[in-house]
Parts: sequence; structure tokens; C-alpha cells
Amino acid sequence: MVTREDVENIALLSKLFVPEEELDGLTKSMQEIIDFADAINNAPADGEGFDNINNLSNVFREDEVVPSYDCKEILCNAPEQAEDHFLVRNRE
Amino acid sequence: MGTISKIHEMLTTKQCSCTELTKSYLEQIEKSNPELNAYVNVTGDEALRAAEAVDKKLAAGEEIGMLEGVPMTLKDNLSTKGIETTCCSKILTGYKPIYNATVWELLQAQNAVMLGKTNMDEFAMGSSSETSYFGGAANPFNTKHCAGGSSGGVASAVGANIAAYGLGSDTGGSIRQPASFCGIVGLKPTYGAVSRYGLIAYGSSLDQIGPITKSVEDAAIVFDAISKQDERDSTSKGSSEETYSKLDNDIKGLKIGIAREYLDGVRDDVKEAVLEAAEVYKSLGAEIVYFDLPALKYALPVYYIIACAEASSNLGRYDGIRYGYKTAHYNGTHDMICRTRSEGFGEEVKRRILLGTYVLSAGYYDAYYKKAQDLRGSIIRSFNDAFENCDVILAPTVPMTAFEMGHAVSDPIETYLTDICTVPVNIAGLPGVSIPCGFNAKGMPIGMQLIGRSFGEATILNAAYKYQQAAPDKFMDTKWGVKL
Repeated sequence: MVTREDVENIALLSKLFVPEEELDGLTKSMQEIIDFADAINNAPADGEGFDNINNLSNVFREDEVVPSYDCKEILCNAPEQAEDHFLVRNRE
Repeated sequence: MGTISKIHEMLTTKQCSCTELTKSYLEQIEKSNPELNAYVNVTGDEALRAAEAVDKKLAAGEEIGMLEGVPMTLKDNLSTKGIETTCCSKILTGYKPIYNATVWELLQAQNAVMLGKTNMDEFAMGSSSETSYFGGAANPFNTKHCAGGSSGGVASAVGANIAAYGLGSDTGGSIRQPASFCGIVGLKPTYGAVSRYGLIAYGSSLDQIGPITKSVEDAAIVFDAISKQDERDSTSKGSSEETYSKLDNDIKGLKIGIAREYLDGVRDDVKEAVLEAAEVYKSLGAEIVYFDLPALKYALPVYYIIACAEASSNLGRYDGIRYGYKTAHYNGTHDMICRTRSEGFGEEVKRRILLGTYVLSAGYYDAYYKKAQDLRGSIIRSFNDAFENCDVILAPTVPMTAFEMGHAVSDPIETYLTDICTVPVNIAGLPGVSIPCGFNAKGMPIGMQLIGRSFGEATILNAAYKYQQAAPDKFMDTKWGVKL
């Protein structure tokens, strides 16, 4: 059963704020989705598990130094930047 | 019909210049987009520049490739260097990627003319494109109905002839379902056939990029162009087999399987259309075999658990520090990140992040995520067994036709249930193509899907092409857009 406390806890883990007035509604909606997901509880898995799709295997290459993106180019999308770094202020 | 081959013929026989053609597409976008809301960003200047380059080649008497100069569109979750790519989310407003998605790089190398970026459900989470920050995309057959989702903008644009083709992404049906709703063709390739580099991630083990087109030939042409191995996506294998040259292969003796579970709960008009298509296949010499696929019963919850778990991890990167939206007022870094995410994500995205976090959290991981992964293995093996007895699986694409606008957002669970026929293919990593197979009493298109073995795109496109030839009346054009 999904409780208000569960929702508060997963919201914290998800770094999301849930306003007090939305908590009950969200708890109910989460419960409905979890009830729907619970259909798998009684499902007979064949016990062989799951590894990956299409027998993909790891791809390795030599660790060679190659040109990468320019620092300034990367920073151009940052909401704030200073001295070639992302800028995170403690408060605004 | 504005298909790729028709446009290629027009350009090479000098019936029009690429610039003229591109201008007529841009004019039609301006005219019809206010009603369709298919495009969220029209890139007219870039399109005309690309068109000019093609005209120069033509003027110099150089040969051009099939996709050169063909006006097309990309879903707004495919990275385009220097062009805003938002995933139709407030949290990515203003984000201009500094690199191109591999698929766009491949098409750009063939002088594709991109008309703009198209609408989608926010972060590809939805079935009607209505979770988009920019509002839903309308269906060209009836604008009171949605175009489907999540690649609804691409399907709306292609259905309305304001793009000759487009690329979408499919995590649980997001190419095939809107293609089905808009009466066109949508191919979800095998997992690994097309590089996902530059596709903004939703569920990384399920996501694939593929074409949405007016015809089966077009789907084959575009698939052949984008299915290349790419070292920047470690899961990419490319496709070893060309599909276009095999479209017209004889399908006499082809074994087409119908899993009874796929027909459960499907509306009568959809079921009838699919079974009628089976009769067409019989008349073409294919053999129809019925079988059971009981593992399908669990496909939907398995899909939602895995997709949301992967989404909760993938969407952790949006923190207001490196790109996109950032909250205006906050107190401390944790507060800043939480406010940014709470203000930047829409309701459905937050719901899926919370669900994903829940199924991955201590105490629930084994019961949900691990169990879902085990069942994923069972579903894959069930498909493998099925393909021992048939070459292609025929199924409805969606249990119904396009919903009316506003219907999908009112009840999340009911909307999740409509993905029942599309998600199994993503869980198993298989290729599936949706093609039109009829219309309901209100004239809305019905789609069916052909599912193949892993990397079996050539076989399903061959079967799809044969149907298109035998039943051309199911591939109906709309009143919209550029008429060629």
C-alpha cells in the first residue's frame, strides 16, 4: 500500500517538491498505478532471468586521447557560468 | 502523394527546383500549423540553405541520392546542433545541442532538407502528444482527434503533407501508434539497428529511432539510410541487410502468425480490419497460423516498471545547472534543484519519475524492478519460440482509433492500457512496422502491425509492401498540405 509518507520519501529521492495540497491526490494515483503493476506478482517467470537484448556484448576500444567539445561551447547552454565553470549560487 | 520517390523524380526531371519545393512546404506549414500544431519550431532559413545546395548540384548536372532535397522533419527529442531541442518540456527551453544526433548527421550528409522540429509528448511520455509543453498535435483526418503519441507531431506533419517523411522515436509504441492514428507508415527498428546517439533518453533499453512515412517504400529508403553501426552508441549494431531491394520479393509460403492475445480487448472494427488483412495475405499465398502468447498478459506492467525506472535515472540530469530552465528564487542547492525540476517538468513526467524511483527503491526493487526484468526475459523467449513457427506476426497496432483531444490526459491508467499491442515489441527489442489497414465508421484510420525476428526488417517491410500493393485504398491521403 502506498502511503503519504512513501510519496514524500520518493519525492525527496526524486528531487521533486510535492505541494501539501497535491499529496493525497498523488498518493491515490500512485496506488492505482502500483495496483496495476502488481499484476506481475503472480506471473510465472521461467527462472532464466534477463541479460540483455539481441546478445549485445561490451564494446571496447583503445583509450586514445581525441579532440572533444570546447569548454565554452558546452557552457553556452548553462543558465549561469563564470571563469569557464558552471556557476551554482547558494541562493538567489 | 508526396512520397520520397515522387519528389526525387520531380527534382531529377526538373519539374521544380528544390528551393521552390521547399518554399511550398514552408507556405503550407504556415497555413496549416496553427490548426495542426505539428511543428514546434520551423527552421525555414536552414531548410532553404540546404535546398540551395541541392539546386546547385542539380544545375551542375550532378546525380543526387534518393533523400537529397526531400523536405522532412525531426521529432523534438533528436539533437540538432545549434537548433533548439526541447523534448517539448519547459525544463529544456532554450537548449541548443552542441552536437547532432547520428541519424541527423547521416541524413544531413545526404542533403536532407529539415523543415523544423515536431511536437511530441513531453520527454516522449504519453500517447496523444498532449503532455507536450506546447499543447497537443491534431490528427489530419479530423482535427478534433489527436495525432497520437508520443511522435504525434511527426505523424501529423507527414499525414498532412507538410513533411514528406520524419524521424520519430519509439519506446513503447511512439512511432507505430501515431502512424496508425494518422493512416500512415511507422517503423520501429530492432533495438540496436539505429544509433541512439543524440536521442534524448527516456528508457534507454527500449528506445529506438525510426521513420514515419507515407508509404512502405519510403520507410525502407529511410531505414536503409539510418541503420548504420555507430561507435558512439555501444548498443548499436547497424543493419546488415538492405531492405529496399527486397520489398517486392514473393511472399508465397510466408508464415504469418496471429497471437490470440493480441486480439483480446480490441475494438470490433479494428479486429475486423486486421482479420480482413489476414485474408488479403492468404490471397497472396501466405499461410496464416494462430498461436498463443500468454506472456503478453504481463507486458504492460513490465513495460511501465522498466520504462519508468530507466526514466527516473535518465531524467536525473535535469538540475538547472548545465542546461535548460532554472528556477528564479531558491535557498541552497538542494532547494534550487528541487524547485527547478518541480517547475520544469509536467505532471505526467513527474508521475513517471516518482513511479520509477519507487520501483527502484530499497524494499521494492526485488518485487517490481527485478521481477519485471525476469519477466522481460520470459517475454523475449516466448517471442523466440513463436518465431520457430512463423516468419512474421500480424497484430493490431492500437486497440482503437485516434482518441478525441482531451481524452488521454483524463485517466493515466486507461491511457497506459492503449499501449497493450505496441509495448511487447520494445520489451523484446524486435522490429515492428505499422501500416494502414482500414477506416472505422467515422472515417478514422485503423493500423495493423507486422512484427519480425530480430534484425528482420527486410521481411516485415516486404510483407508490408505486398499488402500496400494489394490494398492501395487503405493508404488514403488527406486534404492538407503540398499536393504533388
